[in-house]
Amino acid sequence: MRKSLFRIVDVLELCTAYIFCFFLNVLLDYAKTLDLDSYILKAFVKNFIDYQPLIVLLFTFIVIVFHYQMLHRKKAEIFCKILVGDTVFHIIIRYALDCIMILAFAYILSVLANVYLNFNLTSSLYLVPILITYILISARQVRKYENF
Amino acid sequence: MKIFKFFISKIFLRKAILGIGMILLLFMANYITNTAARSILSTFQGYQETKYINQKGVYIANLDPNSHIDMDVINENGTQVVYDYLNNSFHYAFYTDGFIVSVPNTDDMKVSLGYMNEEYYELNQFELSQGTDLDFNYQLDEKIPVLIGKGLSKTYPIGSTIIIEESALGRPVTLKVQGVLKQNAYHSNYYALNSKTYYNFLILFPVNEGFINNANIDLQLNGLMDVIILETTQKEIADLREFIENNLGLKFNFFSQKENYEYFNEYYLHSLKIIAITAFVLIIIIACLSIWNALVSVRLMLKDFTINLLVGLSYSRLRKIFYSYFGILSFVNLIVIFAITACDRYGCWLRKDATFATYGLFCLIGMDWFALSVVALLDILIEIVIVESMLWRIKKVPISLGVLQ
Repeated sequence: MRKSLFRIVDVLELCTAYIFCFFLNVLLDYAKTLDLDSYILKAFVKNFIDYQPLIVLLFTFIVIVFHYQMLHRKKAEIFCKILVGDTVFHIIIRYALDCIMILAFAYILSVLANVYLNFNLTSSLYLVPILITYILISARQVRKYENF
Repeated sequence: MKIFKFFISKIFLRKAILGIGMILLLFMANYITNTAARSILSTFQGYQETKYINQKGVYIANLDPNSHIDMDVINENGTQVVYDYLNNSFHYAFYTDGFIVSVPNTDDMKVSLGYMNEEYYELNQFELSQGTDLDFNYQLDEKIPVLIGKGLSKTYPIGSTIIIEESALGRPVTLKVQGVLKQNAYHSNYYALNSKTYYNFLILFPVNEGFINNANIDLQLNGLMDVIILETTQKEIADLREFIENNLGLKFNFFSQKENYEYFNEYYLHSLKIIAITAFVLIIIIACLSIWNALVSVRLMLKDFTINLLVGLSYSRLRKIFYSYFGILSFVNLIVIFAITACDRYGCWLRKDATFATYGLFCLIGMDWFALSVVALLDILIEIVIVESMLWRIKKVPISLGVLQ
């Protein structure tokens, strides 16, 4: 992490955003399994379960916001790194790998939660390619700050 | 206005992702609030509606979930004996609906029939928009006076006749429109108070003793399932339960006012509390995310804000700009929630779902407007919290330092 664009606060922020997305999915999966005897509660919960992928997808927007603001803040740092001999390619690779490591950590946590609750392990898998797409798109943005 | 336009076009829109993020978070908060408010209000409306049967001496029939309906044992003689017993020994309110009939109408909706007796009619106090009260003392071979929903009143004005081929009597009957129910009149399900049937495409059919005696077994049996026994005692109810079990082989429960209240407190109040708490927790989480998003905006736009403060923009003016900006975002969300609700209501018309079709501006009814008001109120609260936290963050940074960023 020595040459990384990430500081501890950034890692925590991104990790929280990922964990929020994965656990929202787990929470909605959990709501599906609840044996509710109340018709009102069933009708209320159905309003969310019916749109589970859409709701989770909308909340992944906080990850987009994170990537966007993170790179904006690191504009000067990226430029300075290039100035002292680093390459854009290496900065992009390091940034993407850092993000993927944090994503892997959050995903493992969600898998553990799924195991604990006896849920299908692949239920959160669809989020991984979506979040990786965000990482790849944001990694491309690093190139924008090559010239300060 | 000029400075507001400048802020929108040169500062906020240049970092549109943050604005979109805020819209999505507010949308989630609004969706949850709208859903929770509608569920809670609908349940309370149902509870208010059933208050008239929650009186002392009133018992509502309910088929025991463990009782099996054996149609080989049940026959017309059995149900007739039960009704004779009811007529001789009790006052009872009879109501059953869901009998679909083909009655041509301008909206091409399927029309359902609701059968009720005089006691039920008096208990409910139906509000009419046109016409007069029903007369229950008719002969079966005469034109039978009925009440109709608003949706049918265009095709069948007061005084017109409707011929129904398939009635509970097993032969065609001629109905005469006596009155039109108020628009969006509804009936809540006794066992799911938040679920409603709207009467806009319903024909309310008065039944008297003669009608029930001549009706088919479907009507008699269905009517028995929700029959409301009035002015009675626990002892008489026990006898009735035994009588029904002996003649029809069906085990009925009859719940009293006290049991109904206990059921409400245990079941509905508990459910409503859970809905309210869940919605509250989710809204708090979303509000925190919105504040985070707002602080991120400050982080990225600090230079723009402080430059403007340096050249003479006051904090109070900046506050007004923020309120206007978030007001626009909230308004966009409110429009989206409104559109979703309207589409949901209008979908019932497209699906020709007569039991849920409603009248109103964009098909929205009072409950929807109430929920939208709650959503607007919540938006104002969230807006205040977000704007004040943004200003607090901006004020913490000295202008000179902000400009240098």
